[in-house]
Amino acid sequence: MLLTTIHLAVADNGDEGLVLLPDLSELVMGLVAFLLLIAIMFKFVFPKLNETLAERGTQIQGKMEEADAKLAEAEAAKREYEASLDDARGEATQIIDEAKATAESLRADILAKAETEAAQIIERAQGEVATERQRVVQELRAQVGTMSVELASRIVERELDAATHEGLVDEYIQRLSNQN
Amino acid sequence: MTQTLTLAAAEWGGEFDGVLDDINALFDFPYLFSFEMFGEEWGINRTILIAWLMTLIVGVIFVMGTRNMQVVPGKFQSAIEMVVEFNRQIAMEIIGPKGLKFVPMLTTFFVAIFALNLAKITPFLMLPPTGRSAWPLFFAGIAWLIYVGVGIKEQGFIGYFKGVAFPSGVPWPLYIILTPIEIVSTLILRPFTLAVRLFANMAAGHILVVITLVTAWIFLPSALGWPIGVFAVVAGPLVFGFELFIIALQAYIFTMLTAVYIDSSMEAH
Repeated sequence: MLLTTIHLAVADNGDEGLVLLPDLSELVMGLVAFLLLIAIMFKFVFPKLNETLAERGTQIQGKMEEADAKLAEAEAAKREYEASLDDARGEATQIIDEAKATAESLRADILAKAETEAAQIIERAQGEVATERQRVVQELRAQVGTMSVELASRIVERELDAATHEGLVDEYIQRLSNQN
Repeated sequence: MTQTLTLAAAEWGGEFDGVLDDINALFDFPYLFSFEMFGEEWGINRTILIAWLMTLIVGVIFVMGTRNMQVVPGKFQSAIEMVVEFNRQIAMEIIGPKGLKFVPMLTTFFVAIFALNLAKITPFLMLPPTGRSAWPLFFAGIAWLIYVGVGIKEQGFIGYFKGVAFPSGVPWPLYIILTPIEIVSTLILRPFTLAVRLFANMAAGHILVVITLVTAWIFLPSALGWPIGVFAVVAGPLVFGFELFIIALQAYIFTMLTAVYIDSSMEAH
């Protein structure tokens, strides 16, 4: 051994104690292995690792920018749609209002017309009824006159015979009832 | 302690012939083969083979995991990225955006120390190379080189050492006390504590694991002492879980403190 070994004193027994100074072979061989590991890590592992991480970073950055752009686009589209939707809504309200107004005026027109017509019909009917009544009255008057004359002449024809008179009246009544 | 255990085993009828008499037997393994060079005896032992194996596994995992990198990662790649991201957060939180260039170094420290620590509870290995002083010492040495190097690069040679020796915002008479303390603390104690913290935790953990397993091994067959063996068997999983926690914690602490030291070198205090 190159280095003198020193010992951890373990007071109460005869042990030699743990050797604290390094074994030269272990020091050199271990160091060589570690330096090789460093070389491998720096030459093969981390360049690839960092490259991939950088690429991933770039991609994520790109994706995020893309997403931002798309979001802005979508928001613009949304605003547009909302505006057109508002327009359409206003238009619809307007159309409905117009339709309502039209319907209302139509209703009023029809009602007025119907009322006028009804009034006319009633008026005409009343006129007709009056005319008819007058005609019937006149007709009746004429008939009553004729019948009175006829009756009077018959009465005169058979004045003397009371029985004939009675029979005449009966006959007349008979005739009337037959006529009806 | 080892003798007490041996004694207890003997008294209670266990078969145990002094494996724990020398604590170094748990750590210092003989060379499997050796050769002479520069007037020294060099060799490869079990600890070195374990260190190489764990380092190789880490290297293979990371190379395989990043061989076919995808922007949308698979499970394996995600796991690798998670480890790197963990170290990235350490760098970001402690050093800030300027610390991102140290992420590869911090990650290498973290995974290498974690893997070497993990050998402590890896079946058939059961020996953490970081429980030998060699590994923590060169890890701390490299950390020292990095943070001193960063200090010189960021503040200039004179600026850095002046900043270390004469912290600003202190009345000049205090420098009589402060300057030696600061120099020793920054340039000597920092790497020393880094190394000792890792080494001592791993050595103690290794001893704990060995004692738990050896206790079960010795006492379970003994006529009277078997309940102690049962206790050791029950304690085993708890000890392993605790050690796994320590393994991860020490790897994290080493990495984090290295980041803290780098940060302190970035600008004068």
